[in-house]
Amino acid sequence: MTVSERIEQLKTEALSAVATGVSTADLEDIRVRFLGRSAELTEIKKSIGTLSPEERKEVGRSSNLASREIEAALGARTEEVAAREQEERLRAEAVDVTLPGVPSQRGHLHPSQIVIDDVVDFFVGLGYRVAEGPEVETDYYNFTALNIPEHHPARGEHDTFFLDEGLVLRTHTSPVQIRTMLSQEPPVFVVCPGRTYRNDNDPTHTPMFHQIEGLAVDRGLTLAHLKGTLAAMARHVFGEDAEVRLRPGYFQFTEPSVELDISCFVCGGTDPNCKVCKGAGWLEMLGAGMVDPSVLEEVGYDPEEYTGFAFGMGPDRMAMVKYGVPDLRLFFEGDLRFLRQF
Amino acid sequence: MRVPLSWLHDYLDFDLSADELVNLFSLRSQEIDGVYRFGVTEGDVVVGEVVEFGPHPNADRLFVAKVDLGGREVQIVAGAPNPYPGARVAVVVPGSVMSDGTTLREARLRGLQSYGMMMSERELGISADHGGILLLDDCYEVGRPVAEYFPVGETVLDIDVTPNRPDLWGMIGVARELAAILGTDYRIPEPSFEAGGKPTHDFGLRVEAGDLCPRYDLRRVSDLEPGQEAPLWMRRRIYAGGMRPINAIVDATNYVMLETGQPIHAFDAAMVRGGIVVRRGRAQEKITLLDGSTRVLDEETLVIADEERGLVIAGVMGAEDAEVGEETTDAVIEVANFDGRNILQTSQKLGLRTDASGRFERGLDPNMVSYAMDRVSALLTRAPGGRVADDTLSHYPEPVQPWRVPMRLGRAELLLGMPVQVDEASGLLESLGCEVERTDGRLWATMPTFRRDLRREADLVEEVGRLIGLDSVPEMLPAVPQPGALTEAQQKTRSLRRLLADLGLSEAITYPFGPERWTEDLGLEDGPIGIENPLSAEGGYLRTSILPGLLDAAARNRAFGARGGALFEHGNVFFSDVPQDDLREAALRFRMTGEVGAQLAEGLMGVREVSRIGVVLAGTVRPAGWNVPEFRAGFFEAKGLVERLVPDARFVPTERTYLHPGRSAVVMVGDTEAGWVGELHPEVAGRFGLDGWPVAALELDTALCQPGPEPRFEPFFNVPAVARDLAVLVEERIPVGDMLCSVRDLPGPLLTEVRIFDVYAGSPVPQGQKSVAFGFTFQGEKTLTDEEVDAEVGLVLSRLEDEFGARVRS
Ligand SMILES: [Zn+2]
Repeated sequence: MTVSERIEQLKTEALSAVATGVSTADLEDIRVRFLGRSAELTEIKKSIGTLSPEERKEVGRSSNLASREIEAALGARTEEVAAREQEERLRAEAVDVTLPGVPSQRGHLHPSQIVIDDVVDFFVGLGYRVAEGPEVETDYYNFTALNIPEHHPARGEHDTFFLDEGLVLRTHTSPVQIRTMLSQEPPVFVVCPGRTYRNDNDPTHTPMFHQIEGLAVDRGLTLAHLKGTLAAMARHVFGEDAEVRLRPGYFQFTEPSVELDISCFVCGGTDPNCKVCKGAGWLEMLGAGMVDPSVLEEVGYDPEEYTGFAFGMGPDRMAMVKYGVPDLRLFFEGDLRFLRQF
Repeated sequence: MRVPLSWLHDYLDFDLSADELVNLFSLRSQEIDGVYRFGVTEGDVVVGEVVEFGPHPNADRLFVAKVDLGGREVQIVAGAPNPYPGARVAVVVPGSVMSDGTTLREARLRGLQSYGMMMSERELGISADHGGILLLDDCYEVGRPVAEYFPVGETVLDIDVTPNRPDLWGMIGVARELAAILGTDYRIPEPSFEAGGKPTHDFGLRVEAGDLCPRYDLRRVSDLEPGQEAPLWMRRRIYAGGMRPINAIVDATNYVMLETGQPIHAFDAAMVRGGIVVRRGRAQEKITLLDGSTRVLDEETLVIADEERGLVIAGVMGAEDAEVGEETTDAVIEVANFDGRNILQTSQKLGLRTDASGRFERGLDPNMVSYAMDRVSALLTRAPGGRVADDTLSHYPEPVQPWRVPMRLGRAELLLGMPVQVDEASGLLESLGCEVERTDGRLWATMPTFRRDLRREADLVEEVGRLIGLDSVPEMLPAVPQPGALTEAQQKTRSLRRLLADLGLSEAITYPFGPERWTEDLGLEDGPIGIENPLSAEGGYLRTSILPGLLDAAARNRAFGARGGALFEHGNVFFSDVPQDDLREAALRFRMTGEVGAQLAEGLMGVREVSRIGVVLAGTVRPAGWNVPEFRAGFFEAKGLVERLVPDARFVPTERTYLHPGRSAVVMVGDTEAGWVGELHPEVAGRFGLDGWPVAALELDTALCQPGPEPRFEPFFNVPAVARDLAVLVEERIPVGDMLCSVRDLPGPLLTEVRIFDVYAGSPVPQGQKSVAFGFTFQGEKTLTDEEVDAEVGLVLSRLEDEFGARVRS
């Protein structure tokens, strides 16, 4: 057998070995066996110097050719096998994707605050500012300045918590309106959210609850502006289909006074057995009215020049209606089974 | 105010269902609290005559009757023994529906067929009496429907009368209101009676307390037949009106009160000694009232007395002494007007609210007295057959005159935001009882004196608006001439709340008042502000910290099986800031009248409110998962939150009664104390029902928190950063925070990040020392060489050596 024939034979052997190599390790062995430092083909190349010039040329060419061919086959095969091996390795790493992920604890805002923030954002969008005031109020700001003088029967209905002489826990956020008007000239457009207090405790009354009151004083404000503003708010909070209606009401610091109902956002007034509106089709939502001229006078505004409207709503009650909570007392117990639902 | 609809029909004609009426009344006038039904709502009740009556053969407590229904005899099983042959009864026909919704059917009772039912007073809605079967007198004709004599069913609207409308506390006022709403007429009974009874002036009348009694009228009705019951029609109206029938005289006074809204009192003339005196109570004067209670009077209590003793706490309740009763044949009738505020105060003081006081306290129209007096006189001549005196004693020195109020149409349109026609407005005011003139472009309305609430233009505008119908008011949005915005403080509060919620905490809102033990249990020294009339002792003091409310909440969660939780609350705490003695008077004036005088209002409030944010981490905040360890409350868990809320905070060890003495710190912002953070003292945890749980908490002044500091750009360079670690040994007492600060304060600009990745004490670290491992990141304008980085680390090390005696750990 000539050297060239032997080279050809080695090449054939190598190529067939490469074709049957099933792992990268196999292929590495094959590379060492056929192309390694002590491989036969390598030995042949090293011995070229001992050959005759004619042979030298021939053997040199064919051995190089064989090496390249084997290298190329090895490369291609290795790539193929390596890809399959990686694929197998990844499959072996599979996890149970239905197991829970690493938890990032979810916190919760209080449902009343969610409603307050929502209502406040709505009014800020309209151009209102947010005014706040103390929760311990004076008799004057809580009552007298609001047209409820000492011994007025309306005081009895406030179930007031009394502190030191002349001080009360505010029974509404209305004193904030007075403080606001005393501190600035019209136009006034404010909402006043906050905690308020009444000495009362049952499923629909808690000794502390929230109110959001609003006040607008400017030239030419009318009951129609009040109605339009509150209708837009109701649609913002309860959905585009909400309708509002006004009924006569009575509040000491507004005249005319109105109550505002919104259409039941659950049944729209179509279900006589509706749990939310009890078949009435309407939900009492807030009290409102045109600011009483004597209140405007009390804070030094000229009621002939300025008119205004004021409104008050209970965000806790709105949250009860919106989220279907049956008992107001749940709001203030700090029970996580409740808080985590919002 | 309970309004029986059959009664309302006396005064005006209307054809509306109860539902329609409720709707109309609530849209135009007052809210309706409820609709109640009595008696038989559907079907027939027929007058029958008992032919036979005897015991049921198969049942001890039942009876059986044969009843003639007018040419037809039926058998009825009864549960009461009082009928007898010849008695007339009201028999409800099978198929009729009762007010509770049940349908009556023919039935077999213990083997006997029973047709319909013989009705009791309660079943017919006449009274609460269910003791026996109602026996009718002979004027009820056998076979005729009972409804021809009186309504066998009743629907009652319960009007929630607003305080400004005392005129609606009587049926006539309600009829007038409904007539105005419907645009129809109403009629009121014309009282007529023949006088000729014994003279009233046998008794004297002396009004000593005229300031509390604008009007007092007295009239005698004599020759009354004693022991009479009021007629059935009257009793059933009184019952439907929410009162209890008593006897013919008292019922007549109550009937007229329900009709007119004017309370009336009747004295037994035989018991009145000398005459009637209207006076203030005397010190320590006692009076035993009809309800059996003995009350001690004072000078602010108005008393109706005779010359010897108090007979009535005016406008509230009478005493036993001169009350009309079974034997009364001669009565003196009081129809009076009392000062509403005084009656309210008395009623509150005594804790006694009656139908009369509830009406007086709103302020009634003194001109209503005459009509009510005539009306009750007329009724007393009927059932008890009395004779009315020719004379009436009257104290009414300053008769109330009608007043005029102008209304500009333009003003009405401005306030209501809708067009108002002059004829319409004037017609509506007239329907309310006003006389209206039109001069100089205004409507001048003369008010009826029963509408004491209508004093000003705005009051009239309201009346016109509601009667036109508020549904006609259009919806408009005003142009608001300013941009809306939250203040910085409001924005901050919101960011704080959102941040804590994003970090996994739940927002609680708790009552800011609690029991006195809160202060003791926390070991606080400042006395909290007390509430004078708390709901219970559990809510007697305003909180001085957010902590106890959240601890109570945590304990509540534990009681219901929670293993832990993370709560936060934003709210105010309250500190007493009592004004100096010399400011006391100014403070009171400020609180009552708003007058500030020379002082600042702040000092006069007496209370300092501080906005705080509080957090409680309790127990196992998050249990272990298959891939995460559990998250338990601890100092560093809480501190991590503070570091988010107040990024620039310094932490200084502190000792507070309620905190773990070795695991608590004051949070400093600059030189100001912003709050505290720490683990709860186990003793305190125990007092709050959290024994055995780790509890960590924090409380910060909202104003000093900085949840979202204003960003400020720092340049950086796109070259590789180099990380180095350095472990040093220091004495165990050295605060690592101080070392960190010191390293951060180094002037070199190359150190961009430093963190502590390990703190270790114990073998092989020598006793009394600890190893602190720092991780540094260096970065410069150009790629740093090893030598440059070594130099930087050297700088750090030498500072740690100098300041803290640190040695490199080898
Ligand atoms: Zn509904």
